[in-house]
Amino acid sequence: MTPPAARRILGRLQVAAMLVAVLAPLAWMVLSSFKVSRDVMALPPRLIFTPTLDNYRELFLRTDFLHNTWNSLVVALGATLLGLVLGAPAAFAIAWHRTTWPATLTLFARMAPGTLFLLPWFILFSQVDLVGTYTVLILTHGAITVPVALWTLLPYFDALPRALIESAQMDGCRPHAILGRIALPLVAPGLVVAAILCFVFTWNYFLFALALSGFDTKTAIVASFNFIGEGVTNWGALMAAATMIALPPLVLALLVQRHLVSGLSSGAVKG
Amino acid sequence: MSTIAGEALAVAPERVRSGQQKISFSWMVWPAVAFVVLMMVFPLVYAAWISLQDASLGTEPRFVGIENYLNLASDPEFLNAFRVTWVLYGAALALQLALGTWLGIVLNGVRVARHLVRTIAITPFMMPPVVVGMMAIVLLDPSVGIVNWLLGTVGVPPLLWLASPRWVLLSVALVDTWQWAPFVGLIVLGGLQSLPASVFEAAEVDGVIGWRRFVYVTLPLLGPTLLTAAVLRSVDLLRFFDLVFIATRGGPGNASTTMNMYAYQQGFEFSRFGHASAAMLTLSAVVLCTVMVFARLRRAVSY
Repeated sequence: MTPPAARRILGRLQVAAMLVAVLAPLAWMVLSSFKVSRDVMALPPRLIFTPTLDNYRELFLRTDFLHNTWNSLVVALGATLLGLVLGAPAAFAIAWHRTTWPATLTLFARMAPGTLFLLPWFILFSQVDLVGTYTVLILTHGAITVPVALWTLLPYFDALPRALIESAQMDGCRPHAILGRIALPLVAPGLVVAAILCFVFTWNYFLFALALSGFDTKTAIVASFNFIGEGVTNWGALMAAATMIALPPLVLALLVQRHLVSGLSSGAVKG
Repeated sequence: MSTIAGEALAVAPERVRSGQQKISFSWMVWPAVAFVVLMMVFPLVYAAWISLQDASLGTEPRFVGIENYLNLASDPEFLNAFRVTWVLYGAALALQLALGTWLGIVLNGVRVARHLVRTIAITPFMMPPVVVGMMAIVLLDPSVGIVNWLLGTVGVPPLLWLASPRWVLLSVALVDTWQWAPFVGLIVLGGLQSLPASVFEAAEVDGVIGWRRFVYVTLPLLGPTLLTAAVLRSVDLLRFFDLVFIATRGGPGNASTTMNMYAYQQGFEFSRFGHASAAMLTLSAVVLCTVMVFARLRRAVSY
C-alpha cells in the first residue's frame, strides 16, 4: 500500500504530464508564430528569442488572409443562424410530442461521410450556378448545424415543465407565441451552447469549403491549407495562420466549457 | 391541425381547459425535416443513383447496375483503403479509449484548479483539424522537427513519422489521439461522477483498492460510458479524412489513403463519379453497421 502523501504526489505528476502533453504543442505553435524563419527551425530550439510580428504582417498584408477570415465569419454565422432557426422549433416540437423520428433521421444523415453529400451537391449546385457563393456554403454547412442545434437543444426543451406550456395554451397563447415568448427565453442557456457549437463546427469544417468555395469566398481554413500545398517553407507564417484560425473556436469553447461535453455527447447518449 | 383544434374549441371549450385536447406544435418540425430531406436525404439517394451508373466527367452516364460495386471489390487501391481505414481505426480507437480512461481518472482526482484543468483538456478537440495537421507537419518533421530532436536527447534515432510508409498510420493515430483522447477523458469523467459512491466505499471496506479496484469495479461500471465514447469516435475515425488530407495527402504512396480519402480522390481528382459514389456508400454502410454493433453491445452491458 502506498502512503497517502506518495499517492498525492503521483496524482499531481499525472496531472502535470497531461497538462504538458496538451499544452506543449500549442505553446510551440504560438511561440513559432512570433519567430523569424531562422529561429523556427533552429535546433536545439530557441526558447529565448527576439519576438517579431513579421509573420502576422506577412499573413495579413501579403496574402488575402483577412478577407478569408471574413469569409469564414460570414459562413459560420450564417450557418449558425440557419441551424438555430430550423433546429430550435424542431427540437421544441420533438420534445413536446415525443415523436423522435425527425431527430433520428438527422442523426442517421449525419453519419454519412461528408464526401457523399459533396458530389451530388457539386453537380446540383453547379447547374444553378451557385458553386462558390456564400449561399451554397451556408446551406451546405447547415447539414452540420441543423442536426447539432436540434440535438443540443432537445434536452433543454425536454426539461421544460409541461404544465407551463399547457397553461399558456389555456390562456389562448398561439403555438408560435408559446415557442417565441415562453419556451425560447427559458432555454436561453441552451441556445448559447447550441450557437457556439454550431459556429465552432462550421468554422473548423474543412471539406465543404474546400470543394465549394470560390476564389472570393475562400475560407481561412481552406486558404491556410493552400499555404501547405504551395510548399510554404515559412513555418513562422504557417504557425501564425494556425494560431489565428484556432483562436475563435478556442475562445468560444472556453466560454461554455461546462456544458460542452454533455452537448457533444447527447446525440449518442440519447440515440 | 389548427382547424380541427378550432372546431374542438367551438364545440367543447371545457375539454380544452381540462387539457385533453392538446395543442399541436407538429408543424414546427417540418422546416427542419424539409431541410434535411432536401440537403441530405435527397443527395444520398442521388449518390446511390449515380453509383449505379458509369458516370465520369465528359461522358454520357450509362446505367451499369452494381458494376461499380463489383469493381470496388476487385480494385487493389480500394482494398488497400479498406485495410488502411481499419488499421487506423483500431490503433486510434484503442489509444484514445485507453488514454481517455486514464485521463478521466486523473481529472476526477484533481482538487486544485479543477476548472482550469478541465478547460485545458477541452482545447485540443475544439481546434480545427487543419490546425492540428499544420502543427503535426511542423512538430514531426523528420529533420528539423522538435519531436525528433527531443527524442534524440534521450538517444532515440530520428524517426520518419508521417513520411514513413510503415509508421505513417501510427503517427496519424497518435496525432488524432492528442486531439481526441481528452474528449474521451471528459466523457469518462462524466461517467465516473455519475457512479454511486457507495460501490467504491463497499469495495474499500472489502479491501479492494488500487489496481484491483480499477479492474474489477471501476472498469465494468464504466462499460456503457466507454461504449458511448467508442460510438462517437467510431463515426469520426471510420470517416477519417481531414488530418490525412492535410498532413500526408494519403501518402507516402497510398500508405495513409483511407476509404474517405480514396472516395474523395476518385470523385474530385479523377472525376469518376459513379465509382466514387459506390465507394462513399460502401463507407456509409460500414459506419452504420459499426454503430449498430456498438448500440447492441451497449444495450447488453447496460445495468
